[in-house]
Amino acid sequence: MSPGRGRTESGRNPVWGRMRPLSLPAALTSLTLFLPLALPAPASAQQSAADTANTGIAVTDPLVIESCDRCHAVDEDGMMTRVSYMRKTPEGWQQSIRRMVTLNDVELDPEVARDIVRYLSDSHGLAPEELRPGRFEVERRLIDWSYEESHEGDEDVDRVCSSCHSMGRVVIQRRTKEEWDLLMAMHRGYYPLSDTQGFRRFGPPAPGASDTRHPMDKAVAELSGKFPMTTAQWTSWSATMRPPRLAGTWALKGHHPGRGPIYGTVEISEAADGADFTTRVSYAYARSGEQVEREGRAIVYTGYQWRGRSFEGGDEATSLREVMMVERGWGEINGRWFAGDYDEFGPDVTLLRADGPVVLGLHPVALRSGSTATVTVHGVNLPTGLGAADLDLGPGVEVVSVTRSDSEVLAAEVTASDEATVGARDVFLAGRPVPGHLTVYETVDRILVTPEAGMARLGGGAFPKGFAQFEATAFSDGPDGKPETDDDLNLGFVDVEWSMEEYSAVFDDDDIEYVGTLGADGLFQPALDGPNPDRDGLRNNVGDVWTVATWRGPDGKEVRGRAHLIVTVPLYMRWEPWRVQEMPLPRRRTSDMGNER
Amino acid sequence: MDHLKAINQKARRIQEHVSDLDVIGLESREGPNIPLGCSLVFAPGWEVDSTGGTAGLCQPVERDLFDCHLACFWPAHVPDQLNHAPDWTGKCAAAQKDWRKIDLIFP
Repeated sequence: MSPGRGRTESGRNPVWGRMRPLSLPAALTSLTLFLPLALPAPASAQQSAADTANTGIAVTDPLVIESCDRCHAVDEDGMMTRVSYMRKTPEGWQQSIRRMVTLNDVELDPEVARDIVRYLSDSHGLAPEELRPGRFEVERRLIDWSYEESHEGDEDVDRVCSSCHSMGRVVIQRRTKEEWDLLMAMHRGYYPLSDTQGFRRFGPPAPGASDTRHPMDKAVAELSGKFPMTTAQWTSWSATMRPPRLAGTWALKGHHPGRGPIYGTVEISEAADGADFTTRVSYAYARSGEQVEREGRAIVYTGYQWRGRSFEGGDEATSLREVMMVERGWGEINGRWFAGDYDEFGPDVTLLRADGPVVLGLHPVALRSGSTATVTVHGVNLPTGLGAADLDLGPGVEVVSVTRSDSEVLAAEVTASDEATVGARDVFLAGRPVPGHLTVYETVDRILVTPEAGMARLGGGAFPKGFAQFEATAFSDGPDGKPETDDDLNLGFVDVEWSMEEYSAVFDDDDIEYVGTLGADGLFQPALDGPNPDRDGLRNNVGDVWTVATWRGPDGKEVRGRAHLIVTVPLYMRWEPWRVQEMPLPRRRTSDMGNER
Repeated sequence: MDHLKAINQKARRIQEHVSDLDVIGLESREGPNIPLGCSLVFAPGWEVDSTGGTAGLCQPVERDLFDCHLACFWPAHVPDQLNHAPDWTGKCAAAQKDWRKIDLIFP
């Protein structure tokens, strides 16, 4: 939506069609319009005096008040109905605003909406300790995670919420008890089937049971206890929160699934154009040497939540969304940079302030006894012109020569003797410790394929494909010769041959013929979505398969590892608020893929 | 299985399968926690079935989509006709032929 188009007398844009895809310029947020968080009924959600007196956060920003008070009344203490009684991530607030737009026909200029998200994320946000257990949600990680294990949560409560969405959405919110109640009411009003699909589906227990509450009532009780509006963490963080000063040179280390470790630098500068910071990123893949240069912009919400986007050469196709946490002390920033229609690509990264020398790591991390290899040590502001004597790889590992020694890399030819004791060695460069270890081993005994449970989504016809990237890590059984014991040695990322095998869930299982292909680089490409006329019952190309990694040693030894891959149906709605302007209508770009199978 | 003997055809097929370590569907094995991390889950019929696999899904999904859109939608996965997408399947007289006309919805 271009600013200024179709303005009304009030200067605001008119109401837009409900499901119209928004087309804002590429920016950090895609917000356009705003109205309060409420059911169609007046948002005079009456918080009880007892519940709210001490727990609300006054809304003081004139822009928020002006934009929201048509429905969200502000009382004499500055408490705004609904808004004052919850705390969320920037994405959470964006999502709420988007709902106001699509269901309540609200309008706001994008700049105003961004300012509102900024204000609410800062003043009604989360402390770092509150976000950390659920950060996978904003970092878009497809991990094996359990609410019961991580939060000692109730199984019924888990089902109430995760019948439809990740518990990650839940555990990164804080609300008063009445607000949790109203959240349930909002679901039942706007999404009526949530009542039968989740809220009351599994209950109540039979008469005579000790707890006869409906699951949703249990959920309100548990969530308001575990995730209350007022917490010591937020009180503490509110007292110290300020815009972080991050300008300067940072050392970057990370891991790009399927491609291995990355090392480099990030120059962060303060920006004057609405973003907090601009970045110049330079890194190299340790395995291939491929160099990457990126430029980006970022905002830091709530004093620590980095949200950025960077590009290679300004090319939209290379866009990576950056979601990171600035750690207390402003000396480390870590998180994930990602892309893909299901956020499935991209590295995990850690930035370390690099005012002086920073040693980041080494590659490779393992050496077979009796072998010779090139080992590289990576860092920023490293001393230059170092010799073999400056690199200490531990007993039994000799540095034969140094072939490169500059401020970012030291490369050395090294030999592990036949008699070297098997095990991990601390590594030192010019007296400084190098993070990680160099492990001397005799044999590869085990291959671990990660993720151990992967998921891909069919696409290419009407919806985007969701890919799955696998990689293999080698292990040695260690001195005791037994697998999966404490003395096992992690030998790091290894090259393997990839293949698929049937995961037999039923008789005559034939999923492997339909689900898609696994490339030589461990990237699974799913097949076409839609009914498949070649398959019994017009089944989609869904299925379960094993992704198998086969490692072959120099002596011909073969070791296999495998992971479970679920290939399933597309998503038909996308809730990620930043995705609107990113994702072209998939049918437009895939219309020529009709018969692919 | 050491003390059981298969006496009919189905039992013999099971016996053949359980001798193969790869037959996971017949083992009691703990699977991943579904949904995986930040993903949605189409419980109990679409994304994964009750065992965490795909063998028991309602298939093809398009056959179910239309009913679900109208009457029993999964709130986070399929747009409902009440609020979000009243005409979502309007261009699709027959899902089997017209499934490409379904839009991706940004609620």
